[in-house]
Amino acid sequence: MNNTSRMVVVLLLVGAISGLVLALTFKWTEPMINEIAQSNQKKAILEVLPKAKSYKTMENNNQLFIGYDDNGNEVGLAFIAEGGGFQGDIRMMVGMDTTEEKLTGMTVLSHLETPGLGARIEEDWFKDQFNEKSIEDDFIAKQDVEAITGATISSNAVSNILKNSIPKALDAYRTRGGK
Amino acid sequence: MRMWKEFIKGLWKENAVFRQLMGMCPTLAVTNAAINGLAMGLATLFVLVCSSVIIAIVKNYIPDKVRIPSFIVVIATFVTIADLFMAAFFPDIQKVLGLFIPLIVVNCLILGRAEAFASNNPVKYALMDALGMGVGFTWALTLLGIIREVLGMGSIFGIEVMGVNFTPWIIFILPPGAFITLGILLGIFNAFSKKKTSEASCH
Repeated sequence: MNNTSRMVVVLLLVGAISGLVLALTFKWTEPMINEIAQSNQKKAILEVLPKAKSYKTMENNNQLFIGYDDNGNEVGLAFIAEGGGFQGDIRMMVGMDTTEEKLTGMTVLSHLETPGLGARIEEDWFKDQFNEKSIEDDFIAKQDVEAITGATISSNAVSNILKNSIPKALDAYRTRGGK
Repeated sequence: MRMWKEFIKGLWKENAVFRQLMGMCPTLAVTNAAINGLAMGLATLFVLVCSSVIIAIVKNYIPDKVRIPSFIVVIATFVTIADLFMAAFFPDIQKVLGLFIPLIVVNCLILGRAEAFASNNPVKYALMDALGMGVGFTWALTLLGIIREVLGMGSIFGIEVMGVNFTPWIIFILPPGAFITLGILLGIFNAFSKKKTSEASCH
């Protein structure tokens, strides 16, 4: 075999074997990764709706979840809010009480913020400051909520995403026959 | 014993970070907390060991001209396996390091060891070399992470150590802090090894 065709064959083989190994690893880990994502979502919904014991995904909209207590009464609305952060999109689960019109919790599902700085939006002290805030609040970082030192852009991003997504979620919820 | 020698050289004498200054991108970028440095070091260790062994096994079948692309494909495969494996079994650590794991592919330490060592040495030495280099890289990153976390956040591995009156020096968890810490450490280590060699030569 001459040199050129040997090069082609070797590269082809290396690529094919790597591809096969990767495909097998992916097939093997995929169910576990999906399961983790599912259970994380469930955990996040129940975390942001502290009064809820169960929840239902809203029909026609898989980003809205209605929480129920033990007696089957509606206790709140959870929704996925997303928007641009410092380096990539931030996805959050937000919970609110629709009758008292205030937030009951917020948790970060995924983000690409700088580890050690913007990534601190995941920390409890930061997330907990949004509890009990009125949904009409402006959430301005450094005024209404404390910002993360060294990560003003990430803090502002969270505030902006909340401010933009709350009316939209509420609208979607009400037009689909909620209270 | 040569096996031991190949392992031990990576720990100090040819330490990737403090002696060879290789893999500076992860060294500077992820070491703003001790746990990040440790986890990055361990992930790199895994990829380094697997790819060095595979490359040492197949080295005779790969034509010289396509060795770099072949090595990169092997390395990238192990990086993706490590990423998927961590996502399935250690989702918390994977979440912290998420962005940096794919970057292991371009860590020149790994390609450097493949090119300089694994591609012209027997499998057993390649394994020991990769283990030594990986452990050396891991302790270097952890040390940087500890120093930056203590000064920048007042904690080690998330545990508060500096007391309530300590004002964190935010600069140490920001990018400039990485350069400052690494520079000072390199200076200290250089002064130390210089002294040692000059003393040794006197006797």
